[in-house]
Amino acid sequence: MDPALIFSQFLSGLSMGMMLFLIASGLSLIFGVMNILNFAHATLWLIGAYFCYMFWYVLQDFGFGLWLSILLAALTLAALGWLIEVVLIRRVYSRELPEQLLLTYALVLILGDLIKLTWGVDDKVIARPPLVAGPVFFFGVPFDSYFIFVIGIGVLVAIGLWWFLQKTKYGHIVRAAVYSREMVGALGIPVPRIYTGVFVLGIFIAGLAGAVQAPVGSITLGMDMAVIIQAFCVVVIGGFGSLLGTFVGAIIVGEVYAFSILFWPQGALVLIFVVTAFILIVRPWGLFGTPMRT
Amino acid sequence: MKFKSTMTVACVFALLFSLGPPSSGLAAEPYHLGVNLAITGTGALYCKDGVDAIDMAVKEINAKGGFLGKHEIKVFTRDTHTKPDVAVREAKDLILREKVRTILGTYSSACAVAIKPIAQEYKVLHIAAISNSENITKVNFSPYTYQVVPNSYMQAKAVVLGVAELAKKKGWKNYVTIASDYEWGRSTQQNTVELLKQMAPELKLKKEFWPALGETQFTSYITAIMAQKPDFVIGSVASKDNVAWMNQAKAYGFFDKIPYPGSLISVSELILQAKTLTRGLIGLSRAPFFAHLDVPMMAEFVKNFQAAYGRYPSDWAVMEYDAVYALKQGIEKANSIDSDKVKDAMKGLSIDTCRGKLYFREIDNQLSCSSYIGVVADDPKYPFPIYHDLVEVKGPDSWRPEAEILADRQAEKK
Repeated sequence: MDPALIFSQFLSGLSMGMMLFLIASGLSLIFGVMNILNFAHATLWLIGAYFCYMFWYVLQDFGFGLWLSILLAALTLAALGWLIEVVLIRRVYSRELPEQLLLTYALVLILGDLIKLTWGVDDKVIARPPLVAGPVFFFGVPFDSYFIFVIGIGVLVAIGLWWFLQKTKYGHIVRAAVYSREMVGALGIPVPRIYTGVFVLGIFIAGLAGAVQAPVGSITLGMDMAVIIQAFCVVVIGGFGSLLGTFVGAIIVGEVYAFSILFWPQGALVLIFVVTAFILIVRPWGLFGTPMRT
Repeated sequence: MKFKSTMTVACVFALLFSLGPPSSGLAAEPYHLGVNLAITGTGALYCKDGVDAIDMAVKEINAKGGFLGKHEIKVFTRDTHTKPDVAVREAKDLILREKVRTILGTYSSACAVAIKPIAQEYKVLHIAAISNSENITKVNFSPYTYQVVPNSYMQAKAVVLGVAELAKKKGWKNYVTIASDYEWGRSTQQNTVELLKQMAPELKLKKEFWPALGETQFTSYITAIMAQKPDFVIGSVASKDNVAWMNQAKAYGFFDKIPYPGSLISVSELILQAKTLTRGLIGLSRAPFFAHLDVPMMAEFVKNFQAAYGRYPSDWAVMEYDAVYALKQGIEKANSIDSDKVKDAMKGLSIDTCRGKLYFREIDNQLSCSSYIGVVADDPKYPFPIYHDLVEVKGPDSWRPEAEILADRQAEKK
């Protein structure tokens, strides 16, 4: 097979991986630091897409309309995330996992109905600006230019999160809180505020992911349910709470999917779940997770 | 004597009162109509129009007193979420709790196939107006299930007639298929491939692609299809998946490189993708309103739909509207709202629809409706592209021969 076509397939897998990384990194970050399994993460991602449509609808006549809409959507969702954390999530930090799941699943239903009330059941479509509406060519093979942007955003978020967690004082505190929230609290650091910040950051990334997804197809109710499963596969493979694991897990899922479509299209989805199940059996804490979290 | 006659009159009155007031003075029983469609999820794009059209038809009929001029229609709408288990649950709820006599639905063929036996078990009519797998009426036949949409075989045959012609002209040798991985996608793809084998045996199927229902990212499919370098691609992807697929494929310049004839491009896609849809594509549609504006019922429907909702009706609106009026005509022929009698009355019935005078074929209760193929092109009359060079493939020219249906049913029994 033509190497250029293989490269093109690799880029397709990478773009899917980066899209999944954007969704899963927030999920993994929130779980890693706060021990909260946020089932509503994908629904918030979907709201990010609707926010993007809302801003784009107003700004569509401007050349920068889509780019500004993506940023505004992420920021607006972060504000919503702050509200959810303060009103609901912080009340279940010390509760058992099933109770947390119940609360976040209830959020899925409530937010789903709020979406319906706010934006109706019609699908929404964002027309891409000309800059990212056509193909770019690698070795004569076309590739959707918008996905170059997606890959770029994914890599930027990965580097940004790594820098934040490894190189900043606030990041060090967040990492310390993962291992001992009591110790961090004893040092006079306000742990609830750290948690709020982490939750807002995770939801900001979810909003960014939703807004980036918005111009890819149509925005519609129910999209979140399909995505949450793949996002969970990513964090299971990579390891809950591990940024590197989420990044690698997302690329694995994207590339397994892309190349199985090329060579064995009937089994594309199955292979992702086979890989996930295999990891769960041989290394339940994921490729880069720590056994402590199992 | 006077006492005796007074008592006689009193007894007669008492008897009359015990029998109740004369029937002409009774408020007739309302007709409970169930709607089981995908209000949310993958099918929402098509179903919203369907629900609006049903509401419009019901209002029109109720304005004249309801079915038979006396049975006011009450609509009970349920969301299947495009999931068979939910569709079954909601169908049972509609039947047992809301006492519906007919269920209009569903979006997904898998849902339609799932609720068919439920409707049959409870002797409730089931009219499919969007879901169109031919398995809804071909196998496991239920006399209670009717279909007012061209089924997957009819649509496939219409596509194949066009594609076989094009293949000869252009010297095409091979192709690949991409179809959503569920009942409708599978049955449409299978029918298309089988018919192409019969009508253009020289064409070779290189590969089949099966994106999951609800797929949002088609990039890997697009590059994988391009890697195959097929002469053309046949697609069976619908609703929001279709929008995502076509948007992304266009961004690859896919349609400029590889012919993509006969994919489903309904009026919904024409409207929703007015700015982005590639002009010159050869598309397939199930009931485009602009094909039948010469039919008074269609012209009236389009005018009223626009007045009520401020938009043009899609194929799905046309067919759901026809479904309500098919039921009305069945009830009028039966002169009863009893579902058993209506079911019998609809057998082979000729009905007036927005698409002209059509009839139900007796062997499978399939309406003799057409499929439509045309070239996507702008039209000054509409704010979205429509089909030019429209070809209408009539139902009786495209549906599966009765002998094959009988053979399939025989095979099913074994």
